[in-house]
Amino acid sequence: MSWAVTLDDVGRRYRAGGTWVLRGVDLEVRAGTLLRVEGGNGTGKSTLLRLLAGIEAPSAGRVRGLPGVRGYVPERFPAALPLTAAAYVTHLGRVRGLRGRAAAREGTRWLERLGADRYAGTRMRELSKGSSQKVAVAQALVGRPPLLVLDEAWTGLDQPARAVLDEVVRERVAEGGAVVFVDHDPARLAADADAVVRVAADGRVERDQGVPRARAGAPPRSPAPHFRIEAWGTPGAGAPAGLPSGARCRVAPGGALSLTVPAAASDAALRTLLAAHPGWHVRSVRQEDAAREEEHAVCETDSVREENSGWGEAGRG
Amino acid sequence: MRETLALTRYQLAVLLRSQRWLAPLLLYAALLAVGVRAGDPVLDSLGFAAAALLPTAVWLVRVCVTAEPAAARHCAAAATGPGRAHLGGVAAGAVAAAVLGAAAVGLVTAVGSRGSTDGGDAVPAASAVVAGVCGILTCVLVGTAVGVLCNRPLVRSRGYAVAASVLGTVAALVAGASPARAAVGALSRASARGSVDVPWVPLLCALGVAGLAACAACAVAARRP
Repeated sequence: MSWAVTLDDVGRRYRAGGTWVLRGVDLEVRAGTLLRVEGGNGTGKSTLLRLLAGIEAPSAGRVRGLPGVRGYVPERFPAALPLTAAAYVTHLGRVRGLRGRAAAREGTRWLERLGADRYAGTRMRELSKGSSQKVAVAQALVGRPPLLVLDEAWTGLDQPARAVLDEVVRERVAEGGAVVFVDHDPARLAADADAVVRVAADGRVERDQGVPRARAGAPPRSPAPHFRIEAWGTPGAGAPAGLPSGARCRVAPGGALSLTVPAAASDAALRTLLAAHPGWHVRSVRQEDAAREEEHAVCETDSVREENSGWGEAGRG
Repeated sequence: MRETLALTRYQLAVLLRSQRWLAPLLLYAALLAVGVRAGDPVLDSLGFAAAALLPTAVWLVRVCVTAEPAAARHCAAAATGPGRAHLGGVAAGAVAAAVLGAAAVGLVTAVGSRGSTDGGDAVPAASAVVAGVCGILTCVLVGTAVGVLCNRPLVRSRGYAVAASVLGTVAALVAGASPARAAVGALSRASARGSVDVPWVPLLCALGVAGLAACAACAVAARRP
């Protein structure tokens, strides 16, 4: 299923005659892409994200092609709701069209995956900031919305939950969904972003050039440079989990690993290898001819992720 | 449609657990305690119960459309659309008012006398209930319309919203063109005559008014998130 959200000359201001928070925005978000939005404080990043999430209508111009169901994680989620975390996530799943039991099941799975299952039965107004942020992320993911809009969703999450969210974003994009995000950490998903747009102080949005577009869903693969990483590991160890998407790896039974990654993702891949348990000993990193890439026997590096993926049986009605 | 039902259910859950239904319920109970006596003619009492339900419905709709913090409202709006999310709140308020109304019809029919106002002809219970339900629903719908027009997103400041709600309620009860006044008037005329005439026309008008008001508010919801 291919779709794209298009902003045509979109402007937004909050009162007639007021200042334009955004103006003249032309932007396209296609299925299967990851878009990063940058900009200083108060430049209108959040407004742009709310327009993309279909929460606000533009004051000028048009937003076309919004998918019927979106997931949105707000910048701050002090949801003083009297519902329990599990009940809230289940309600949002139902709103996205899931049947009652499927919504409850999927909601529980997301809370578990984010490490929030301990407070599933706690009322939301009693949750700490970080726990309540986990609920905010879980409610956006339940029901598999094709478009995910994350407004600093990582802020307040603990390290494992941040890693899970990174992983989920990659999965979502690989499955053909689109993800738009703002985050103050410039390294956040840096290797995965298909495009970066910058909101300027005057409310205009410009596209950052020179970002690799290296995945399905994005325009055709460019012959961007690739790196080949050779490493030794424990004999019998499988492919390491959490490699950046676009990585192709081969593990010999003796423990020799050969990994081909796009140049932009090589740092992330090395980080993953060095941080893995059991560890990998990196022997060499070389630039590789794009043409030779096809010779490798390709194995799907995402197999580990899928086991604990929450997307499984969605049971949509 | 299913999304709207799910949203209504979500808003009803928020309303129920937040206990913000308690104040409107106490208002309605107090009004009924003052205005309805055991042994009063049933149609008269039903007319009073319907009129008293109007401000209660206005309040319940206000409670429901302002129940969520902005962040949660945005999340629900992203899930299906801001208009629909708002409609969920409006519907939850109307459903809550209708539940109170149903309880009031039961109570009033149980304690009221079957006679007309002058103590004459007996009124058949079934037709009294049908006429009462019609009147109650009319007032629920008109109250919903007032609540929708006098609150977020059309009126955003709390002070103006409350003032507008009070004025709107008074206007809906006394203005000649109001379906609520027509329905309540029909019930008390029926009581005076001792013959039931079911106020269908006011009910249909109220349905139209509430629908138009909800459409207007939902259309604006995306512009004023």
